[in-house]
Amino acid sequence: MQSEIELHHPKNLAEALTLLSHYGPDGKLLAGGTNMVVELRDGHYNGKSLVDLSHLEELRGISKQDGYIVIGGGTTITELIDHPLIGAHAGVLKEAARLFANPLVRNRATVAGNLVDASPAADTAPPLLALNAEVQLMSQTATRWIKLEDFITGVRKTLLQPGELMVAIRWPVPSARSAGAYTKVGLRKADAISVLSAAVMVELDDAGVCQQTSIALGAVSPKPFRAHAAEALLKGKVLDSALIAEAARLAAESTRPIDDIRGTAAYRKRVVAVTVRRLLTKAVEVLK
Amino acid sequence: MKYQVKPLPQVDLPELRTVGKPLRKVDAMGKAVGDTVYAGDYSMPRMLYGKVFRSKQSSARITRLDVSKARALPGVACVITGLDVPNARLVSDMPGQTGQKQRAGSDVPVLASEQVRFYGEPIALVAAETLEIADKAVSLIEIDYEPLPGVYDPLEAMKPGAPVVTPPDNIVARWKIRKGNVESGFEQADLIVENTFRIPYQEHAYLEPEAGVAWIDERGAITIRVSTQVIEHFRTIARAVGVRQNKIHIQGTMVGGGFGGKEDITIEIYLALLAKHTARPVKMVYTREESFLAHAKRHPYVITHRTGVKKNGQITASKIEMISDSGAYPYLSPYVLLYTTVMAPGPYRINNVQVDAISVATNNPYTSAFRGFGGPQACFAYEQQMDDIARQLGLDPLEVRKVNYLRTGDCTATGQVIESAAWLEETATRAMAALGEQSPNYGSVKIGQGFASYFQSYGRITWMHDTSQAWVGLELDGTVTIRAGVPDLGAGQANSLCQIAAEVLGVPLERVTIYTTDSALTPLSGTSTATRQLYMSGNAALMAATAVRNVLLNRASKYFEEDIEALDIADGKAFIKNDPSQTLNLVDLAKMCASEGMHLSNLALFKAPFTDPINPETGQGQVWPDFTFGSFAVEVAVDTETGEVTILKAAACHDIGRAINRAAAEGQIIGGGMQGLGYGLMENLIVKEGVIKTPSLTEYLIPTSMDFPDIQAIILESGTGLGPFGAKGIGEPSLTPAAPAAASAIANALGVSISEIPITPEKVLAALERA
Amino acid sequence: MKPQMITLHINGRTHYVALNPNLTLLVALRDLGYTDVKSGCEKGDCGACAVFLNGVAVNSCLVLAAQADEGEILTAAGLGTSEHPHPLQTAFSDAGAIQCGYCTPGMIISAKALLDHKPHPTDAEIRDAISGNLCRCTGYAQIIQAVQSAAEKMDAGGEG
Repeated sequence: MQSEIELHHPKNLAEALTLLSHYGPDGKLLAGGTNMVVELRDGHYNGKSLVDLSHLEELRGISKQDGYIVIGGGTTITELIDHPLIGAHAGVLKEAARLFANPLVRNRATVAGNLVDASPAADTAPPLLALNAEVQLMSQTATRWIKLEDFITGVRKTLLQPGELMVAIRWPVPSARSAGAYTKVGLRKADAISVLSAAVMVELDDAGVCQQTSIALGAVSPKPFRAHAAEALLKGKVLDSALIAEAARLAAESTRPIDDIRGTAAYRKRVVAVTVRRLLTKAVEVLK
Repeated sequence: MKYQVKPLPQVDLPELRTVGKPLRKVDAMGKAVGDTVYAGDYSMPRMLYGKVFRSKQSSARITRLDVSKARALPGVACVITGLDVPNARLVSDMPGQTGQKQRAGSDVPVLASEQVRFYGEPIALVAAETLEIADKAVSLIEIDYEPLPGVYDPLEAMKPGAPVVTPPDNIVARWKIRKGNVESGFEQADLIVENTFRIPYQEHAYLEPEAGVAWIDERGAITIRVSTQVIEHFRTIARAVGVRQNKIHIQGTMVGGGFGGKEDITIEIYLALLAKHTARPVKMVYTREESFLAHAKRHPYVITHRTGVKKNGQITASKIEMISDSGAYPYLSPYVLLYTTVMAPGPYRINNVQVDAISVATNNPYTSAFRGFGGPQACFAYEQQMDDIARQLGLDPLEVRKVNYLRTGDCTATGQVIESAAWLEETATRAMAALGEQSPNYGSVKIGQGFASYFQSYGRITWMHDTSQAWVGLELDGTVTIRAGVPDLGAGQANSLCQIAAEVLGVPLERVTIYTTDSALTPLSGTSTATRQLYMSGNAALMAATAVRNVLLNRASKYFEEDIEALDIADGKAFIKNDPSQTLNLVDLAKMCASEGMHLSNLALFKAPFTDPINPETGQGQVWPDFTFGSFAVEVAVDTETGEVTILKAAACHDIGRAINRAAAEGQIIGGGMQGLGYGLMENLIVKEGVIKTPSLTEYLIPTSMDFPDIQAIILESGTGLGPFGAKGIGEPSLTPAAPAAASAIANALGVSISEIPITPEKVLAALERA
Repeated sequence: MKPQMITLHINGRTHYVALNPNLTLLVALRDLGYTDVKSGCEKGDCGACAVFLNGVAVNSCLVLAAQADEGEILTAAGLGTSEHPHPLQTAFSDAGAIQCGYCTPGMIISAKALLDHKPHPTDAEIRDAISGNLCRCTGYAQIIQAVQSAAEKMDAGGEG
């Protein structure tokens, strides 16, 4: 059990940023706490200060602004499930939220917390990657938007700098001619860490030609990522089953999975191909 | 409907007023509103907090153990090592009950002082003013190890030259069965089928980690309030701690789940030592991770069946070899092995049987009791074998079984005659019928149905000479008090005694109060293990309540001037059967009896059948009082591209003899069934070099509410059991057939069987590649 | 470590407590005597420690007590007593939904959280709502029946 930690409860965002700036690398963020509190109990956290963000209303909320859906970093997973904008414009994210851990955890866990934690199996990452999401990082002195794809750099590694806080996530409102699909393969039907997860978005024109695709994969590489080679194959083409199968194969090829207690690398690679094929097929069917 | 369901044999069960009804259990509301004080919920003034320092090696010599820094930490009351308590050893036998000679060196040191044999083995105990200080003290204990060669595979451990876990060798126990002549049996066979099955660990994962509080009371007795299935461990604890048996007092609490995992001594021995050394109350509560490390697991087995069959499926010979991993210490491994051995051939009539079973020591986590006690492992193997025989003969799985199913009057492989109903076909056809028509395949998803039948004992091994006591008394306000040392694990162990007494004494259930689970204050009722409490203590309560009833009827017969046979007691009144308007209130009747000095209470002792041990060379003889029979059926959908298995439907049909509380019996059937399905499909305790790689409920997955559909519970009541009102036992049997039924359904879907559980998606894909 | 003074409103009673900032709400509640809140895993896997915090059902093991400062907390024992039980407590008792009972308080919190938003849930919605509450005894069927039966009773005008 950790013994020398100072816990701060800033009353607003400005106070939080001041504290973060003051503590620099020694300050860590506590949002929903669903990972952090366990780390504290196990004595794995060796920082000095914790800045509790769970009361900051400024970090919550879901809205539509300037062609984007914008969500506050402190938005909980449950709020994603319940919000009509998410249902209307981010079905993949809603589906991932529905399969995220369990209701008690979803009531606390936040989107920013899940992304900053940067687990290879982070459940919100594949759908947000597929939606071309960006994340807003704020410090006392600056604010920047960066692509989520760039934000997560490795196993539990991100571009978040000391003093910075992820205040918001946004993505362009998907075209009305687009559809998405999401799957999580776990060893249990609820409350399971992903063996693998995948989210796709497909946009077709009126002639059925693919304008854009995104294919995002989780738990099959050091970080959740986009299978760009597979996406490129589909652009500008009519998506028939042979093409989809080839894209799925390319997606599987782009993975770098490991053997762990939940599954072997070989299984993951194999099932990525199945999953991506099914998701693309499903998205195309929805659009037809 | 796949199979024809034939009508059941005529059964004439008397109409009962309370027994059989799905009444609210007496312990339910206290749990619902949070009034029940579990072991970890209790505190004492001036209480210390205890912690265990454990080995981080699977096999090593301890070259240095330095607890001086821990002892010097302010707030630490004591640190105990093995050197401080050299005589503290737990005998893994049940003293005075088995009459078996112990294997040399099989006792377990409470604290390892020279050598550690498994990862997590206790080495030192700490008691401190706060939990934080106790944790800190544990972190200050210094230890050096010299690694010793370890052995982690029972097959390797049997080879000459393998590292020996505890001298003289790694063979912990052996059992054999010799019946008829298997060689001539194989000669008569048209086909010989041979398969090897691998069955894994299972973690109990009860929701309540081990917990308790101990203190020394005003009479100098070490009192231990603890969550346990066995309060009779006070005797073993007394010996290990070095006090008289009447100076250890166990107050058992409501158990937050046991399933066999709280059958061996858990923390009560540490609490006793710490309370004795500090003369202060001490509390100890395991974390989930420590619970995983500290208690036994279900035994992994490798079982090979070689079966000779005629073309019609009739078995001519069954030769079975089984090896179990006992882990670093024997605990109950010899007994679990006996169960697996005797149940090995399944509920089938076979003239020529040979079973050779060995339990082997390794440096893996130790293994002991888990619901089913070796029966589920045996069942997985014999039922997969029956399915394979059917496949190879081109016969239906039920047809093959029907030719061989045991019937009343038949002998088991050890020569025990089945005296109760043996409703195997009856349960199999009903369980399958409950699934209904098989759903169609779609896309890459294949659907299959399958079932498994089983037999499983209830009651302890008959040469253990099991007894149970219960005390029943009528109070002067017409309420009933029961005293019985029954540990209640939530299965309704206490409630069933109440429902029996309510029936016999003609009072509503809510007028019965039971006091349980106190080694000093309630009559000893034996362990809540072996599916024995309803059978044993239920009979004791029935005897005691009947004795009180007879006193009442005698007095009422004088009052009514009628024969006893003409009278009955119900709804709080004695009355004349032919003229129910003539009544005598139970309160008045009780007062009459009391004022005349008649005994309104009774302490009864129920004895199971006592036998001699089986012949060690042939295994012949009686092993248990009786058996429960039943079947489990499953429909699965298997995604042949991802290997994912979804259970679509599940049904369990058991002859439980007689339901005492129908809702509780259904709860056992459904809950045990789900543990069995979890065992078959999901639960995966991964152990590498003796270290558990799935050390908490994050990694070791047990079924959630989303994983399986409702298991349909079909209760049959033959009324032929040895328990009260003809009841059999269902606690353990409920689990036994679930995993093999799921495996059968998967094999039926895929056309290829999988001989190793849990059947993970990867194993499904691997099997499809073999096909 | 400097203890921090916090205020917790638990089941209608107000407590002022000084505690270490790294203590979880679970530990704080149990130390204050609310032992109906059970500890099963201390990492959000089992749901035995579920309570309402400001109207939201949470695992109290995943919340630091200091994060709950000034919060309104409702535990299963705050819902009813054996004399005056909540309809869920009655239904759980009557449906055989309680075996060892260790998961029950947390299970009832999750069930209430569902019924607060969805008075007429489907079985599938009940399954989802309690999917973070492990039960090792019952196999869940009788729990689902109990929630349905409580929903009917509450709809019929019982206490909500």
